[in-house]
Amino acid sequence: MSTSIGRTAFTYVCALAVCSLTLTGFASAAAPKIPRLPNGKPNFSGIWQTTSAADFDLEPHSARKDAPPGAGIVEGNIIPYLPDALEQRKKNFEERATADPRTKCWTLGVPRGIYYPEPFQIFQRDRDLTVVFQFGQSVRTIHTNGTLHPVETDNEFWLGDSRGHWEGDTLVVDVTDFNNETWLDRAGNFHSEKLHVIERWKLLDANTIDYQATLEDSKVYSRPWTLSAILHRHREKHFQLIENYCFALDYDKYYPVPVNE
Amino acid sequence: MSALTKSLILSALAFASNVGSAQQTPAPQPQAAPGLRFEKTVPTIISAPWQGQRISDGQPEIQGHWSNTIANHNNWTDPQGGVPDDRSRANRQPGPREQRAPSRVTDPADGHVPFQPWALALQQEFLAHFPNPVKPQYIEPLARCAPGGVPKSFIWHGYEIRQYPGYVLFLFDSGTRIVHLDGKPPLPENIKLWNADSRGRWEGNTLIVRVSNNNAKARFGRTGEFASENVQIEERFIFDNDGQRYNYVATFTDPTVYTQPWTATIPARRYTLKQEPDEWHFAVALANAPGREPLAERYERICVENNGGFGNVAVAPKQ
Repeated sequence: MSTSIGRTAFTYVCALAVCSLTLTGFASAAAPKIPRLPNGKPNFSGIWQTTSAADFDLEPHSARKDAPPGAGIVEGNIIPYLPDALEQRKKNFEERATADPRTKCWTLGVPRGIYYPEPFQIFQRDRDLTVVFQFGQSVRTIHTNGTLHPVETDNEFWLGDSRGHWEGDTLVVDVTDFNNETWLDRAGNFHSEKLHVIERWKLLDANTIDYQATLEDSKVYSRPWTLSAILHRHREKHFQLIENYCFALDYDKYYPVPVNE
Repeated sequence: MSALTKSLILSALAFASNVGSAQQTPAPQPQAAPGLRFEKTVPTIISAPWQGQRISDGQPEIQGHWSNTIANHNNWTDPQGGVPDDRSRANRQPGPREQRAPSRVTDPADGHVPFQPWALALQQEFLAHFPNPVKPQYIEPLARCAPGGVPKSFIWHGYEIRQYPGYVLFLFDSGTRIVHLDGKPPLPENIKLWNADSRGRWEGNTLIVRVSNNNAKARFGRTGEFASENVQIEERFIFDNDGQRYNYVATFTDPTVYTQPWTATIPARRYTLKQEPDEWHFAVALANAPGREPLAERYERICVENNGGFGNVAVAPKQ
């Protein structure tokens, strides 16, 4: 019975020459279910990581001694640097082995922490998402309670100030008030304290996030540009973050475990 | 940089170690009890059924901002006594012992950590060198931005607790702890961590956490008390049903360091916007939410990125 009603409806709709729309509708009805909070919003809780080589170099690059090859994750391939900034980027690249803040285990910043090749965990409530990065165990809060960026705009946060809102099932996050200390990757791509990031987080299915970030910075780039990465959920049995306070390794040797000698 | 961020950094550096602070710009006075609202007594809170709110997975809801009520980490067993022989406090006498808060060691009754003789000697060595750290190992790891570890994080600055189905999250000024409530096994034994590995469960008003995989590098206080990598800690966070207080009661078992298991008690209280935010217990900002009820927000915590060699202030005083 229901089959024949369905067929009738299908025939009727096709008669209106919008078959393709209807078929699209069928396809989305069959789309994978995504996890949701009790309030109905997409639930990003879980442990995530990219499999891309983005952190080695956001732009397309051949293999190097210190980087596997990668097709890059920048829309249009090239980051639109202003001339002086491009010179700085070249300098950063030459000095990357020691100048990359990652080598000191400093907070990675936004968006770098998201595509850095170590897991991060999202804990989500109605009012916010808490992002804990295994690298340095740093904590980023994305507010989703309708609050605005602080009135004071010179906090110069390492992770910026993140305010999110929902556009359908996409979490859109506006991030401002950065400092100029963080890099975007190991190849010396960088920004200034004028950086403004707009992120778009969308669950493609229960275990995959489509992550996009648009970066604008009038001191460094000639126009806004966008990068994107796919993030995968860690599903290994008993998987968990293992704290990585790597900055402590430099003085680890001074604190031997007390033993009865 | 905002005044709040600056003051957070300043207070972190100033409190990171008081060694050599006499040579620095005038340091805040962390031991000034009235400003820091420290109390001299420890309330009794018993394990009992939970009567309050719960989050969606049934956990008692205890989210928010908390801080210990008796003293900072200067002295583990005489919490309000300051660091013994601290030259920067030479003009301030702590007064008779019985007028100060009791030892954090609540079992055994003498208030002392039951160290084996070799371990007591090691603790005394650390303590003796604290004001004059002639070797790198005498500098408290926290002054280098290492996590405070277990249990010291609970007597450092105030901290925030956030809860989620299956998790309790502790966000400290120096370090982050994720308590897993899902029953997964602990990490393999050879993985050792500053904040250890935490597996918890709720019984009524009490969060019980088994702590293993401790790297034993953090000290409990500036007085140098410690455990070894073998230590097993059972923490009991016993929450009062009005949601305003809890006692942290932790039992330390480590036959390689102590002569018997022993228990520490650290009282804590909740902070809300009924209290003035400060730079020690309740370092929050007001959310920018025009027309709405005031809402406290926690800003990011940064340490190593702003820290100079050996904690900026943790250098040997000039003789």
